[in-house]
Amino acid sequence: MKLRKTLRIARWEVTKSAGTLDKTTVVFAALVLLVGGVAGGAVVSEVALDEGIYRVGVDESSPYHDVVQENEQLVAGSPDGELGEDISMRVRNGQFEAAETRKGSAAYAEFRTAVRVYNDRRYDDLFASGTVNRTAAFPVVVVLEYADRNTQDFSGAGGGRTDDGTVDGDGGSTDDGGGDGSGGVDDGTGGVGGGDDVRAPAVGGGGGGGTQMSGAPGQLSPPFPFQSLVLAFLFIVPMNFVVQAYGSTIINERVNRRGELMLVAPVTRGDIIAGKTLPYFAGLMAVCSAIAYVVGGSALALAAVLPIALLFLAATFVGGMFARSFKELTFVTIAVSVFLTAYVFVPAIFSDITPIALISPLTLVVRDLRDVPVSVLEYAYSTGPFYLSSLVLFATGASVYREEDMFTQKRLPAKALDSISTFVWNKRTVAGVSVAMLPFVFVAELLVLALVFPLPERFALPVLLTSIVVVEEIAKSVGIYAGFTHDRFRDTLGAAVGVGVASGVGFFVAEKGMLVVQVVGMGQYEYGQAAFSTLPSGLSPLVAVGLLFMPLGLHVVTATISALGARRSRTAYAMAFTVAVLVHLAYNVSVLAVRSGVLDGV
Amino acid sequence: MIRVDDLRKEYDGFVAVEDSSFEVDAGEVFGVVGPNGAGKTTTLKMLAGLVEPTSGDAEIAGTPAGSLDMRRNLGFLPEESPLYEEMTAHSYLEFFADLYDVPGDVARDRISDSLDRLDLDHRERRIGDMSKGMKRKVAIARSLVNDPDVLIYDEPASGLDPLTTNYIIDFTRELADAGKTIVFSAHNLYHVESICDRIIVMNQGDIIARGSLDEIRDKHGRTAYHVYTDVPVRDAAPEDDDRYHVVVDDMTAVERVREEANADGGRVVDIQTEDPSLEDIFLDIAEESVEAAREDEAERPAREVET
Repeated sequence: MKLRKTLRIARWEVTKSAGTLDKTTVVFAALVLLVGGVAGGAVVSEVALDEGIYRVGVDESSPYHDVVQENEQLVAGSPDGELGEDISMRVRNGQFEAAETRKGSAAYAEFRTAVRVYNDRRYDDLFASGTVNRTAAFPVVVVLEYADRNTQDFSGAGGGRTDDGTVDGDGGSTDDGGGDGSGGVDDGTGGVGGGDDVRAPAVGGGGGGGTQMSGAPGQLSPPFPFQSLVLAFLFIVPMNFVVQAYGSTIINERVNRRGELMLVAPVTRGDIIAGKTLPYFAGLMAVCSAIAYVVGGSALALAAVLPIALLFLAATFVGGMFARSFKELTFVTIAVSVFLTAYVFVPAIFSDITPIALISPLTLVVRDLRDVPVSVLEYAYSTGPFYLSSLVLFATGASVYREEDMFTQKRLPAKALDSISTFVWNKRTVAGVSVAMLPFVFVAELLVLALVFPLPERFALPVLLTSIVVVEEIAKSVGIYAGFTHDRFRDTLGAAVGVGVASGVGFFVAEKGMLVVQVVGMGQYEYGQAAFSTLPSGLSPLVAVGLLFMPLGLHVVTATISALGARRSRTAYAMAFTVAVLVHLAYNVSVLAVRSGVLDGV
Repeated sequence: MIRVDDLRKEYDGFVAVEDSSFEVDAGEVFGVVGPNGAGKTTTLKMLAGLVEPTSGDAEIAGTPAGSLDMRRNLGFLPEESPLYEEMTAHSYLEFFADLYDVPGDVARDRISDSLDRLDLDHRERRIGDMSKGMKRKVAIARSLVNDPDVLIYDEPASGLDPLTTNYIIDFTRELADAGKTIVFSAHNLYHVESICDRIIVMNQGDIIARGSLDEIRDKHGRTAYHVYTDVPVRDAAPEDDDRYHVVVDDMTAVERVREEANADGGRVVDIQTEDPSLEDIFLDIAEESVEAAREDEAERPAREVET
């Protein structure tokens, strides 16, 4: 690739595209930007949509009245109001009472936060004014170490009843109230004695009665980082528009063979693709930079948005290369927009409460906007699948960016097989294709994980296991099937077994890459373990090694089963694939059962 | 200048071009003719590096087909004119000149010269607003922006009106006179005959005839003898001047006509010979080729039964 050629093509793309924009389109785009800007501005200017959503019954003479007044989400009401109807919670005589509803629990949680913030702010003021001597007030230095929350931490708002903290006007106690639920949380941020400080109550135990909770959204309650989420979403909005234009320019090259002469010019297809993509990518990043500037995002927000923009463009590029018409492209681009928007946005909603949120780079944006630090590992974990998927998708589209493929009218699956077949030539390349499928497997499994997360466990686990098995078997066998349909391999039993083994080994090696999830703690969840087969701690080395290498046998066997069908026909492949899925499913269920037994022994 | 060795292209089991080999000398105008689906376009695209051969090699001026070096020295004109219609002719040509690393001032002069020679006005008009003939001229001008030594023109005058067609054929002849090596394909065999030094005839992916026009005429063509008599003879048609006209294809037949006329008290009053046109030869060869293929097809099941 030559930079000069790429830039020249990019310049040409801008000129050419500008010539196709009519006034209506320009006006429409301007309106969209205006609306987006106003919406963003509204949020930024703190027109908080969640302002005053919890009404707290508190007397004006109560020290907690000021606490409520200072918090945006809380609004003071009469303590005589009916709980659950007029007010969400009540403060009376130092006693706290919340409505036994989700909103009541959420109001209570927010109230606790408000108390803590109030106390912190108040002490800061007192220290700053010199009214209180910090050393005298805190003769003992306390070093706080925050541990990661485990699943039990999340049970607090799950319908647990409120506990009655007490006003401690003169003590120096760091106990912030007793929670009597089994999952009670003591966050160590209790009130410090002195004057009219208020003391925050503990959030009571979970409704599960002491049983371990999954931390699923169904068991959680707001508040979510609403404002940050809305601001983060602003980054995604322009992507949905840009991919439409980008998809059009890609398919434009294919209509009436318009791109043929570029293919015969002394430029590589890499030059052409990069040149055509660059203006859209640069435009997106420019818009995102402007958004970051307005909403107060840092370079981290941009670094997090970058792989999202890349994946939007990469998926659209493949769509533009595979679609047979503009009509078909419209379906593809909308599907890409909806899927990716959902993928990045939904997990980010839970950015405060679960590591699963990290599957979306948008979570990093939310964290950035809330000044929550992000480690390099977290960045790599969150964005890695996006970068890798983008790379593979661009390579997939580029593989058919040639005269023989780009002007033909084939159905999407046939185009996809054509594309994959360009990478498949022998056993080694079959293994390579299985490895290249890893990012998609990872993304698909994380998505399934996120989708089943809110479901009850009895539904979630079977759906999760089945979905993952299907995804993995597709990843292992699609390269084999593409190879057989394109006569890359001899139609013999030996060849089928050979490519099956190669694919299984390749996938096994790639799958071990998923162990990265261990690093960021996804494996602590039961669902995470099911999804990624992470190894629980406490196993003997022999069992651990066995569990580590048993999947190798599984992948080799199931890939070979699919290969035996793929060499025959599409129907035979479908049947063999089904058998492979059932074998894989049986294996996974067995391993879960065995591991459960082993752990019980541990 | 151009060398093609055993070039073969298969699409999903269908053989589009079957082990073609030929050479084109520098400065030569080389014709590729054949019916639709003969494999002409596929052959030209493999030469241009657009289509990857299933097997075999092709090179132009010592560089492999498809390489960037080869593309720099090639002007390719596909059968259609796939232009970027939202651009003006001038900006379109400037863009491609830039891709071919032609310096700006050289490109401007070259583009201006090409458009002058092609008599193309409205250079700042959007290509989409141009007539088909004008678009074709823009496409030809594009093939010349890099001043290549080798031009591959696939049906350059296809679908154009006679005036524009003649203009383009004359222009191609000018390019040949200027020393360009041209590989030229056309359905209109008159055009091929008028400008090509040598040709290959393709049918169903095979080269079924090759050589200079004279060589092909000698090998595949049959001279027609127009025999005129003053009395009616078998198969003769009356002419306005009381003569009778019969066309035969060898001297034996001429002698037979003479004997018939003499037997009726008449005589042969005139004999004229007519060399076959390329079109006649092409039709003959194509018919023979189709016939041979049919026989081959008919024999195949019998052989399978025998085995």
